[in-house]
Amino acid sequence: MAKKVEVFGKGCARCKQTIKIMETAIKELGVDAVVEKVEDINEIVSRGIVATPAIAVDGKIVLTGKIPTLEEAKEILTQN
Amino acid sequence: MSELKIFLLIALVFVLFYFVPFDSPIVAQSILNGFKMLNDYARQHVLLCLVPAFFIAGTISAMLKKDAVLKLLGPNAKRFVSYPVAAVSGAILAVCSCTILPLFGGIYKKGAGIGPATTFLFAGPAINVAAIFLTARVLGWDLGIARMLATITAAVFIGLTMELLFREKGSGGFVTAQGNEGDLRGVVFFLLQLSFMILAGLRINNNVKNVGLGLIGASTLMMATFGFEREKTKLWLSETWDFAKKILPYLFVGVFLAGVITKLLPEEIVVRLLGRNDLWSTLVASVIGAFMYFATLTEVPIVQALRELGMAKGPTLALLMAGNSLSLPSMIVITKLLGKKKAFTYFALVVLFSTIFGMLYGVVD
Repeated sequence: MAKKVEVFGKGCARCKQTIKIMETAIKELGVDAVVEKVEDINEIVSRGIVATPAIAVDGKIVLTGKIPTLEEAKEILTQN
Repeated sequence: MSELKIFLLIALVFVLFYFVPFDSPIVAQSILNGFKMLNDYARQHVLLCLVPAFFIAGTISAMLKKDAVLKLLGPNAKRFVSYPVAAVSGAILAVCSCTILPLFGGIYKKGAGIGPATTFLFAGPAINVAAIFLTARVLGWDLGIARMLATITAAVFIGLTMELLFREKGSGGFVTAQGNEGDLRGVVFFLLQLSFMILAGLRINNNVKNVGLGLIGASTLMMATFGFEREKTKLWLSETWDFAKKILPYLFVGVFLAGVITKLLPEEIVVRLLGRNDLWSTLVASVIGAFMYFATLTEVPIVQALRELGMAKGPTLALLMAGNSLSLPSMIVITKLLGKKKAFTYFALVVLFSTIFGMLYGVVD
C-alpha cells in the first residue's frame, strides 16, 4: 500500500517548498507514496501541530516547524 | 500565480500608467518623496537594523529549541506562568506572521486555553526584535519602548478578559518533532547578535560604538565559522536569507508608498481624524489599525508618514498596537478558529485596549 505523506501548512512559501522536496525525495527513492496537502487550519491544529511546515507519514507526525533537506526527507521516507 | 491574476495585475498597471497625470507637480513630488524615503531607509536602517534583525530571525529559527517554551504554554502550565510567557514568547516563537496563527490555534485547543492563546495572538506580531528596534530607530525610543510595554500589558488584559468571559481550556498538548535543534551555543549566538543590534541603536560616542560593533561582529563571525557544525551554519544562513527575501520587497514597497502618501494625503484630513490625543482620534486609529493589513514591518514607515502629516502620539500608539495584531485577512482565519462570538469579542477587545493605551500614552505625553 502506498505511504501517505501529509504536509501541513497554510499555503505559505515554506510549505510549498516542503511539498516539492518531499515529492523529489519520493521520486528519487522510487518509493510508493502519495503527498497530500493539509491546509485547513482547524485540521492542522487538531493534530496538535503548532509549527508549520510539518510532515506526517501514515498519520504519524515526524517533523514540525522546518523545511527538511533532501537527505532528511529521504530519511523520513525510509524510516517511517 | 494563476493566469487570471497575472492578467489583472497587468491590467492594473496599464490603467495606472494610462490615467496618472505624471506632469502635475503633486504627482512628481510624491514619487520623488517616495524615493527620498527609500534613500533614507537604505542609509539609516538597512545595514545596522534590518540586516542584523534578519540574522537574528535566522538564528531563532535554526538554532533555538522552542520545546521548553512551548511546554509553559501547554495544558498543565500554571496560569501565572502561561500568561506572561504568552505575552513575551512571541519574540522567539513567532518570527514570521504566518507562524502565529497555527501557534495560536494550538495553544487555544491543545494547550493553555483561550486566555493565554489570545494573549499570544495579540502580542506575538509586535514583540519581535525587528519590529521593536525599527520602531525605536524610526519613531523614537520612547515610542519603541511604549509600544513594547503597552502591547505586553494589553495582551495580558485581553487574554484575562477572554478567559473570564469564555472559560475554555485546551487539552491534549502539542506534537513537536524538531530533532536536536538547539543547545546553549545557540542561545549565546543569539545574545551576541542581539547585543550588536542594541549597541547599533544606542546614541553613544561613535568611536566606542564602532569598536564595540567590530568586536561583536568579529566574535559572531568566529562563532558562526567554528562554533557549529557545517550543516547548522548553512541552515542558519538559508533561514536568514529566507526572511530577507520574504520581508524586504514588501518593506521597500511600503517605504516607497509611505513617502508617496506623505505628499499626496492632504494634511487637514489626517489632522482632523488623527490629530489629537482624544478619544475620537485614538478610536479612529485603533479601528483603522484593526482592519488594515500591514506586511511585516511596513507599519513603521506608514506610521512615520502619518506622524509627519500630523497624527498625534496617542493615536500613533493605538494604530501600532491594533495594526500589528489584526487585519482583515487574519480576522477571517481567527473567526474560523474561534467561531463568530468569541472572535468578534476578541476584535472588540483589541480595539478597546488599543484605544485605552493610546489615550493613556497621549495624556502622559
